Amino acid sequence: MALLETKSLSKSFGALAAVKDVSLGIAAGSLHSIIGPNGAGKTTLFNLLTGTFPPTSGRIFLDQKDITGTPANRIAHLGLARSFQRTNVFPAFSLLENVWVAAFACGSSWQGLLWRRTDRYPQATERARTALSDVGLLPKAHVAAREISHGEQRQLELAIALAAAPRVLLLDEPAAGLSPEETRRMVALVRALKGRYTIVLIEHKMDIIMSVSDRVSVMHFGALIAEGTPAEIQRDPEVRRAYLGGIAA
Amino acid sequence: MNRATIAILVAVVLLPFVVRPVIAAEIWLFAIFGLGLNLLLGYTGLLSFGQGTFFGSAAYVAGWLLKHYAINVFFALGIGIGVGALSALLVGYLCVQRSGLYFIMLTFALNQLFFFIAYQWTSVTGGEDGMPGVPRPALLGIDFKDPLAYYIFVAALFLISLWIMKRIVESPLGRILQAIRENEVRAEAVGYNVARFKLLAFVIGGAFSGLAGVLYAMLFGIVPLEAIGFVSSGNVVFATLIGGSGSLYGPIIGSFVFIWLSESMSVIWTRWPLLLGVAFVIVVLFFRGGVVEAWSRFFAWRFSKQKA
Repeated sequence: MALLETKSLSKSFGALAAVKDVSLGIAAGSLHSIIGPNGAGKTTLFNLLTGTFPPTSGRIFLDQKDITGTPANRIAHLGLARSFQRTNVFPAFSLLENVWVAAFACGSSWQGLLWRRTDRYPQATERARTALSDVGLLPKAHVAAREISHGEQRQLELAIALAAAPRVLLLDEPAAGLSPEETRRMVALVRALKGRYTIVLIEHKMDIIMSVSDRVSVMHFGALIAEGTPAEIQRDPEVRRAYLGGIAA
Repeated sequence: MNRATIAILVAVVLLPFVVRPVIAAEIWLFAIFGLGLNLLLGYTGLLSFGQGTFFGSAAYVAGWLLKHYAINVFFALGIGIGVGALSALLVGYLCVQRSGLYFIMLTFALNQLFFFIAYQWTSVTGGEDGMPGVPRPALLGIDFKDPLAYYIFVAALFLISLWIMKRIVESPLGRILQAIRENEVRAEAVGYNVARFKLLAFVIGGAFSGLAGVLYAMLFGIVPLEAIGFVSSGNVVFATLIGGSGSLYGPIIGSFVFIWLSESMSVIWTRWPLLLGVAFVIVVLFFRGGVVEAWSRFFAWRFSKQKA
């Protein structure tokens, strides 16, 4: 059954139709990848799902509930967390503080918001530490985010999303700009998360997609042109023409 | 107790013996004003150029009630805090819709609006002449006409304000505001209504400004027109930047430097603001973190020399 679903979702910026009539169903517990050339509308689709801006038309359902038009700051509370394509952390904060902010936001209670010290929230702190340890950054918990390497910042990016304890994890190119070694580590990480969360993954690197995905959807010029298992997608002639070209052949 | 707290307590005790109690009181009340601004400027990353709105409105309203209805001092403080918070709610609501330069210009423009209301409404505010005759009524049998007694009162309120602000910046709210300063988009994405939190920072800052405004009116017995104008808004930004907006204690040091310079130099030299200008240029060019940063850099330097 689809946990996250879109029905005829469209978004236009002036004359440009960035997302066209996308109907997508993400099954609970699956890892569903979205691929497509640059500018195919993948990140715009994520922005629609997370309420960065409302769709021009169409609807979004989470667990059968219509969440279309929910503002970005409410989306996280509904159990939808995202990581960003371009590293988007809190630079002056320590890694633990970075993750704590996300853990607190979706925590059970904001009691003492103006008064209680931040270290008196054992639940949020515990959740933050777990998220950091999930991505392997716990040893650097007290280092400032601006002082760690790009690869580690990508891991932190993921940890911030995890700290919200989401039901659906939207990962926007988690391996963007990583070295082969760092990419291998990131793939292992995503694979470890598989099954624990419902994951929607945007990725460019074909080997990653084909090795971790349960389902793959292909976007081209804002529209979905194919959907299937990785093996089906690799065989699909239209996909090869539009996107894969010589890469997978 | 940490070292900063001890230093402040020592300063509170010694200050009235170093400068006149009136100046000493002005330093602490101006520090309260700075604490309120710095929640916006240093913690949330919002340069409000209109804090005079809250300071001045509170001074006028509470001053007027003190003058015409002889209200109790505590009641006057409550009114001032309330007026400060309420005007900040109004101004803040309009300003948080925009960011960057537009935000700054909006705070400034709305400040001008309040300024011209005060300027025109001469029957209440006295316009350009200011509103004189604000009394300093006795409280619980303590005569506040004695400058030292009033100094102790202001200093105590400053210490309470500092304690409250310390709690606020160490609370989740403080961290969320800093998260907004660091990365607004991400703060929104992890689940915070950024506009609402900015507004909350405004209201808290406004309450502090309001308290400072009432204390000012009672200290000098007059609410001058500048209290609500850009002079007042600019001074508090100035002082906070000189002290260092990156730390809780920056505005306190800034207030000390600013008030002390202006009160001691203005008697000797009419062109004294020139000195402030020079201080400001030095801060902007070399010590973006103000006196606080200069201080810590100096100690780091000395420490490294000792080691070598």
